Amino acid sequence: MKTLLALVTSLLVTFVFAQPVQIGVLSPLTGGAAGTGLAQQAGFELALQEINAAGGVLGEPLEIIIEDTQAAAPVALAAFEKLMTEDGVEFIAGGYSSGVTLALVESFRTFQPVVTWIGGAVSGVGIDGFDGIEELLGEEDWFFHIHPWDYHNVEAATAFVVSTGVDSVALLHEDSAFGGPGAAGAEALIEAEGIEVTIREAFTSTLFGGTGDFRATISKAAATDADMVYWIGYDSDVVPMISQIRERGYTPQYIFGTPPGWPSEFADAREAECVTGLIGFLPNLPTTEAQAFTEAYRDLHGNEPDNYMAALAYAQLWAYADAINAAGTTEQSAVIEALEAGTFRSPMGEWAFTSSELTDHQGFGADLWLVFQYQDGVREIVWPLERATAPLQSCR
Amino acid sequence: MDISLIVQALVSGVLAAGLYALVSVGLALAIGVIGIVNFAHGEFLMVGAFLTFQLSVSFGLDPALSLLLVAPLLFLLGAVIYRATIQYVLKAPELNQMLLTFGLAIILQNLALLIWGGDPRSIGDVPYRALGFQVAGISFGAVPLASFLVSALLVGGLYYVLIKTPIGKAMRAVAQNRTGAALVGLEVNRIYLIAFALSAALAGLGGVMIAVIQSPTPVVGFAFTLKAFAIVVLAGLGNIRGVLWASLIVAVAESLVATLLPNGDTLRNAVFFAIIFVVLIANSRRPA
Repeated sequence: MKTLLALVTSLLVTFVFAQPVQIGVLSPLTGGAAGTGLAQQAGFELALQEINAAGGVLGEPLEIIIEDTQAAAPVALAAFEKLMTEDGVEFIAGGYSSGVTLALVESFRTFQPVVTWIGGAVSGVGIDGFDGIEELLGEEDWFFHIHPWDYHNVEAATAFVVSTGVDSVALLHEDSAFGGPGAAGAEALIEAEGIEVTIREAFTSTLFGGTGDFRATISKAAATDADMVYWIGYDSDVVPMISQIRERGYTPQYIFGTPPGWPSEFADAREAECVTGLIGFLPNLPTTEAQAFTEAYRDLHGNEPDNYMAALAYAQLWAYADAINAAGTTEQSAVIEALEAGTFRSPMGEWAFTSSELTDHQGFGADLWLVFQYQDGVREIVWPLERATAPLQSCR
Repeated sequence: MDISLIVQALVSGVLAAGLYALVSVGLALAIGVIGIVNFAHGEFLMVGAFLTFQLSVSFGLDPALSLLLVAPLLFLLGAVIYRATIQYVLKAPELNQMLLTFGLAIILQNLALLIWGGDPRSIGDVPYRALGFQVAGISFGAVPLASFLVSALLVGGLYYVLIKTPIGKAMRAVAQNRTGAALVGLEVNRIYLIAFALSAALAGLGGVMIAVIQSPTPVVGFAFTLKAFAIVVLAGLGNIRGVLWASLIVAVAESLVATLLPNGDTLRNAVFFAIIFVVLIANSRRPA
């Protein structure tokens, strides 16, 4: 009887441990943010291929289940609950949009899977009367935030602004949870550096129902004749924003934008010349890791990893694979310990979870960011200087 | 407030009215002649924008010239969709008609997502996209100005067709009394098809302009569907001539609010919703 029991137990254990590890992914694959979601998917696919070619996770091929959030809170909630209740995953990856992330907070708390998250930059730090993601989830041991927080973004952007030597900045921003807090933080930091913010003006992004007519906003900025236009918006705002600044005849020394991505064809537009932008990864980043990632990405997908979310997604899935393999089990506390202790690979170089304002589970900080400038149709890295591929040019 | 900012707001509003009129007049045509509220109207604009993008990328065709190809292609698409779907719900309850066009909108959006992806796409270099000229400190964008003139010509042309030509008169007759028009020998279904296809072609032409000044995405049409509904409601359902004035009112009101109020651009949508509310309430209080 004992032998039989041992045999059954052994078979059960083998069966349980032979199950491939599944990671649930929440990404916006359709809707206005689909470009970013599809970039994430491309990054996950490359990482998955490499992880499984290298032996998988716990000896089995890793599996991912991608659910489309459409960057909409109700859809994301349903997708997350489906991953929890129907698919029974224990690990969540992906992530996009601070609004969606805030809507998921209570559901995350209900199910408490291990969550690593590459979206949702709104920390809430420094904003009275508003609870941001870092404030709400920063102390949860199962939550790991990989994307820099808004204050990291602002810190990097401000350092660039200061490095240009401008005296005045017109700050234009879209009015959702992405642009509003970002602009508030930027205004405070820029003014603290002794640079005048001549105007801070909100607009409705084309991603959220705007028609892309920014002429009124630009006219107000042009009337202040600021040395720099610093705008915070989305990918689909790039063309109307830049072309309407040119159309207006407004020639600031620098036009600096911080959308999550830039339309790939925009590099060929004559109005792109001299425009600068903040980005987390560029294929021409002069490092071995970046070149290896770009080459592998190009081989798999046939195009360039233009959107930095592909690089972050790649880093995220590899972090899960390395942590679970290091833990030797899918048991939650062991994986959390491995995530806390590990150093992981990424196209941006090695990284680990460290401390930020309110959490000890923060992936990248201000040092993720690069500033590029369109020069003769190429996005040259112009800041920080140690990673620059070309010097910054003034446009006036 | 600098007076030049106010003048600039008026100029920008008037120029924006051209595109609004072009998109709205097609919707007014569908509502006025066929009696169907087409929620997929903005998706015809989106398809027109992506076709313009594709013609530029694949054949190097200038967007201004692609007007000549996009209009017939969208006319054809509208005709096919009418034959395949719309004609079967003409006698169905309005809710069914609206659900059908809403479904069409989702299908067209997702087809665009499959074909062109979700990234905002932009025509690489359009020599005149960022072109503008200044007169006494007031900026006139070349594209908004051209788009205004083209829209005025097209809407004027449509009005001429409706008033002066046999097909236009037939459309008006069908719009007034479907049964009566059929009794005097008009082919009602054929006229509906032409009206719906024309409506799609006009939205598609709006899409050409969008492809120049924006980055088309599968959801780019939604904002314009909302604007068009506000304009059509303000003009009076199906009132083609009223669309011109309503477009001007909506566009200028938006531009003034965006310029004169702090963070005014974020109130643009509030402007047209306010217009819809006021018009609907005013109409409901009018004696029968």
